[in-house]
Formats: sequence, structure tokens, C-alpha cells
Amino acid sequence: MSRVFARVLWALISLAAAWSLGAVAQSRGEPVNSTWLVVAAVCTYLVGYRFYASFVAARVMSLDDKRATPAERLRDGHDFEPTNKWIVFGHHFAAIAGPGPLVGPTLAAQFGYLPGFLWIVVGATLGGAVQDFVILFGSIRRDGKSLGQIAREEIGKVGGFTALVTVLLIMIILLAVIALVVVNALKGSPWGTFTIVATMPIAVLMGVYLRYWRPGKVVETSILGFVLVMASVFGGQAIARSATFAPWFTYSGVALAIGLIVYGFFSSALPVWMLLAPRGYLSTFVKLGVVVLLAIGIVFLRPELQLPAFTRFVDGTGPIFAGKIFPFCFITIACGAVSGFHSLISSGTTPKLIARERHALSVGYGSMLLESFVAVMALIAAASLHPGVFFAVNSPAGVVGSTPDAAVATISSWGFPVTAGEMQTLAQQAGEQSLFYRTGGAPSLALGMAQIFASSGGGRTLLAFWYHFAIMFEALFILTTLDSGTRVGRFMLQDMLGQVWPKWGQTNWKPGMLITSGVIVAAWGYFLYQGVVDPLGGINTLWPLFGIANQLLAAVALCVGTTILIKTHGARYMWVTAVPLIWLVVVCFTAGWQKMFSPLPALGFLAQADQLAAGPQNATTPALIFNARLDAAVTGVFLILVATILIDSIRVWIGVLGGKRQAKTTETPFVPSRLAEEL
Amino acid sequence: MKGFFRILLQIVSGVLDELSDRNAYRRHLALHGAMDCPAEWRRFQDEHWGAKSRRARCC
Repeated sequence: MSRVFARVLWALISLAAAWSLGAVAQSRGEPVNSTWLVVAAVCTYLVGYRFYASFVAARVMSLDDKRATPAERLRDGHDFEPTNKWIVFGHHFAAIAGPGPLVGPTLAAQFGYLPGFLWIVVGATLGGAVQDFVILFGSIRRDGKSLGQIAREEIGKVGGFTALVTVLLIMIILLAVIALVVVNALKGSPWGTFTIVATMPIAVLMGVYLRYWRPGKVVETSILGFVLVMASVFGGQAIARSATFAPWFTYSGVALAIGLIVYGFFSSALPVWMLLAPRGYLSTFVKLGVVVLLAIGIVFLRPELQLPAFTRFVDGTGPIFAGKIFPFCFITIACGAVSGFHSLISSGTTPKLIARERHALSVGYGSMLLESFVAVMALIAAASLHPGVFFAVNSPAGVVGSTPDAAVATISSWGFPVTAGEMQTLAQQAGEQSLFYRTGGAPSLALGMAQIFASSGGGRTLLAFWYHFAIMFEALFILTTLDSGTRVGRFMLQDMLGQVWPKWGQTNWKPGMLITSGVIVAAWGYFLYQGVVDPLGGINTLWPLFGIANQLLAAVALCVGTTILIKTHGARYMWVTAVPLIWLVVVCFTAGWQKMFSPLPALGFLAQADQLAAGPQNATTPALIFNARLDAAVTGVFLILVATILIDSIRVWIGVLGGKRQAKTTETPFVPSRLAEEL
Repeated sequence: MKGFFRILLQIVSGVLDELSDRNAYRRHLALHGAMDCPAEWRRFQDEHWGAKSRRARCC
């Protein structure tokens, strides 16, 4: 009876998924309720998890709970510790969820809500979650080793070194682009700037409180920090209204960029307990809380999507970033669909905590589905804005015109009517002087979230509070990624230099610490500055570069996954990772090629440099030409690095499948588990 | 239903303990055979965050 019931239930869930996807895909010309997207996404995830992921777990990976995991075999009470499945799930999800799944879908909404939605759901189910799951499995079977170590052992030294360099370069681009998102959200906004500046002394106060006044009281300290941060959100309103204090916190993009660069340097060089640790705790709790709040808001309020399913910008003429729906939709949304960065987490702390092999299914595959759902919620929040408002906020002055009247005329001519008065009223309700040219995705997402939260109570009178609350939420964990990313980049650079000169490898050696911190900050700071002074708003350049880099890292991870599967089963199951790998390689190489060599100046870096060289010259033109050529070179380096690892992998695959190379894996031998059932 | 909420509460509290490093600190105390005191917490914090800050965070 229960078997029949289960079959009927799964048939109904599958039907609900198909029906909702059909409703979402076929709806044209009238607003679609977000419930369709939520039901379509959740039911697809359930079917994917129940059938596809379970197939991969049972047949491809042969997960075996009788086999002791590294957490059990190497238990040291420090890194390796068998932990409850749901606790590891929470830990892993908190580590993989960053600003990417919020910003990417918001930017990709320029194509309409449908392309991004389908890519988020299908990409995560068949690609992103598979990648996370396979790498987690590979690491569990190899003593919790990192992606770089596995690549070195399974593919070769070239692959391992290439993976390391790729990660460092991606980190630099990532830090620049997320810093640019913060700069664009805060420029000309005394309320937002005050709130974010206030989080810095609050973090230091929390650090001192946790270290000296109330050692070990992390939750108490985080509650204190949250109360103070909320007070700063309220205080920001008073600051913004004060004729004396508002100018103190009103900065241009360049000034904010310099401030962030200085902040990045200090956060990398200061002791971890002072800034990094308290901010890390606070942002983790706020992040999880807001995600839950947003989910509740969307499920209960069921906002209607105002953006159409497709916009005219599928032809590549979009104002937010240039390029056609293929390949650019698929690189703009990386986190939320497929994110290479997740492979670093899946081969980092998580495999050292997994108590039973079958837990990898819910932790590796399930966490990615949850992150994908966060991306769907961000897309819903952005798409629930009026299209004219969405494009007015996200379009740079270089595209739509440098005055509000010019901007609304351009946007209205695209078929998305909006007026300067409408934008002014909205800006006043949001507590801002202006909402034009707020590129980067964060402000439009904050507006969408604020509208959803305000609809649940308080109405328009609370819109300003919720808008700045959402900005604080986004900036808080973007800055946390900036803090820790700069520090990680510094350690990676020190590790590399330490191979040549061991002194540089000593992370407590002050000159080395300061110089490498300076180098990493200068590297991302340069790209940040380049983005800030870019007449097209910077996001047009940097976000695609970041997307290409992140997806290329996913390609590296899937190369490693495919190598493991070929060595284990031959060609039989290689399609599990090879199909998403082929897709990502085609997408990334097409996007990379177009970004370098497209004859359209809005799209191709080299064409942009040529256009600038041929046009009227001013003091900044040589720098803009250099930047465009530098971006082309960086894209080329990414493609070469990944081509290297791909060729190296294919060499190994052909050798193994042709019988010329031994299918020797570095999997650890079977050791029976002695763990009790309750874990 | 009561049982379900009890389990849910246990999971939420377990996740909070993990995210706030309470579990890691307990393991640290057990590993070193140490008692909970401010100096030991500071030692744990330096070790734990020293290692944690070397790991990539996601985007």
C-alpha cells in the first residue's frame, strides 16, 4: 500500500512540476504569479533529488554506509569529526551561499524572467548539484583532500598547478566585482554608507567583546551585533535627513572604491579575532535569517512578476550587459545554477565532517538545490519590480543618457514606460536621493525585497527601512566575502612564493604578510577602480568576466569528476559529469571568444579598445584602452588555463579508455565503519 | 507532532551550535583536556579562525 501511495505521490509531484513549468513557459502578455515559479522549482528539485541524485548515489558512486568516512577514520577532534547530517547540511549551505545567487539572477533578468529561471532550475539539478555532489564524494573517498590535490593526483601535476592559478585569478576578479556591487549600491547614499561604515566599528566591538568581555559567547555577541546593526539602519535615516551629517557620508564611486581598498588591506592584515571572526558570525546568521524571511514573504504574499518572460534584449543589445541570451545568460547566473567555487567548499571542510557516505547526497546535492532556490527567490524579487523601474535602476548613464529625462525617454522607447516623477517618488519612499544608474543588481534586488517585506506590513511607509535593511544585508555578507577572500588570496600567494623562497611561505612573517596583502588588494583594487570609472558602469565588463571565470572553475571540477568516474566505471557513467562539462566548455569558450574578439564595441574588449583609440581623446582614454586590452588578456589567460587542464584530462581519459593507461585511482581502501546509527 | 517539533528544534539548535563554533570549541577542550576559561577560548579562537581564514568562501 505504501509503495502504491509513494508512486502516486511522485507521479503527482512530477505532474505538478510539468504543469507549473508549462504555465511559466507559455504565459505571455500578462503578469505571472510567482507561485508558479516556486511550485515548478520545488517540484523539479524534488524529482531531481528523488530520482536522478539517488541514481547517481546508488549506481555511479555506490555510496556505502558500511564504509568508514575520513571523519571517522581520521577523527582528530579538530578538522575531522563525524557530525550529524543536518548540521553538516547547515554548515555547508552557509559556506556555499554568498552574494552570487542574489546578484546574478537579478542582472540576468534583463532577458526576462524565463531564461534565467529555466537555467537556474535545470542547471542546478543536472549540473551544479551534480558537480558539488561528485567532488564531495571524490574528496570523501580521498581522505578529505582538496580539489587541487585530487586534480594533481588523478590528472597530473599540470592539472593541479593550473587549478591553483585559476582559483587565485578567479578570486581577484570575484573580489573586484563584488566590491563594485557595494560601491554602486552606496554611492550618493548617506543612509546606506552610514549603515555599512557603522558595521566596521560594530564588528571590532563584537571582536573585543567576544575575546575579552564574554569569551565564547558567540550567539550572545551576534545578537548584540545584530541589535547594533539594526540601530545603525535606523540611525542612517536620521543621518540622511541631517543637513550637517549627510555630506559626511555622501561619497562618489571613486572615493568609496578607495575606502574599500584600504578596508580590504586592513581586514587582511589585522588579527582574525578582531574583524573577520565577528563579522563572519554576524553575516552567517543575518544571511540565513533573511533568506528564510524572504522565502516566507514570497510564499505567503505570492507577488506577481512584472517583467515579461522575454525582453527585447535577448538579441544582445541589453543595457545591463551586452551579449545574446546564449551564452551570456548562462555565465551571468553562475552561483545558483553551476558554481565552480562550490567545488572548493565540497573539497574543504565538509568532507571532513561527513559521518556516513550517504549523507553526501543531502549535503552535496541537497544544499545546492537550496542555493538554487535562493536564486529563484532573488529572481522573483527583481522581476516583481515594474520593468521601467528595473531598467532605470540597473542601466548605466553611458547607455541610457546622463539625465533622468534622457534616461526615462530611452527606457520608455524600449517599451518599458517610466517617468522621472515616478522614479523620484520611489527614491523618496526608499529614502534615497536618486535611484537612477544604480548598476550592479544590489539596489534593484533591495527594492524588490523591500516591496515584498513592506507588503507584509507597514506598506510604503516602511519601504525606506526595508530597502536599507536589504542593502545592509547584501553589503554585510559581500564585505565578509571581501575580507576573507583577500586573506585567502594572500595565503595562496604566500604559498606559491614560498615554493621558491620559503620565508615567504611563513604566514606570520610581517613583511611578507604586508606585501602579499598589498599585492592582492592592489590586484582586485585595480579591477574595481577600472569598473568604477568605466563609462558603461563596470558591471558590463566585470560580471561576465567573473561568470566566465567561475564557470571555468566548474569545468575544472567536472574534469576531475569525469576522470574519477572513468577510472571507476570506464565510459559507462562518464556522461553524468561529461554532459554538464561539455555544456560549460561550449558556453564559456563562446562567451570568452565573444568578449575578446566580437567586432561590437559594447561586447568585445578589443573592439572597444579600437573604438576608443579611433575616437576623441581625453586624459582618461589611454587608461580605458589599456583596461579593455587587459580584460581581453585576462579572458584569454582563463581560457588557456582551462584548455590546458581539459587537454590534460582528455589525455588521461583516452589512455584509460583505450587500455594504454592503468585506471589507478587514489581512492582510500575500504575500512568498515563502527559508527552508531544515530549519526 | 510534538516529536517532530522536538527534532526540528534539536536540528536548529545543532546547526546554531555548529555555526557559532560551540561544537568546535567543545571538541577543542576535549582534545586538549582543557577546561573552559577565557585564555583557552582565545587559544581556540586563534587556532580555529587561523585555519578557517585560509579556506575559500563562496561567492
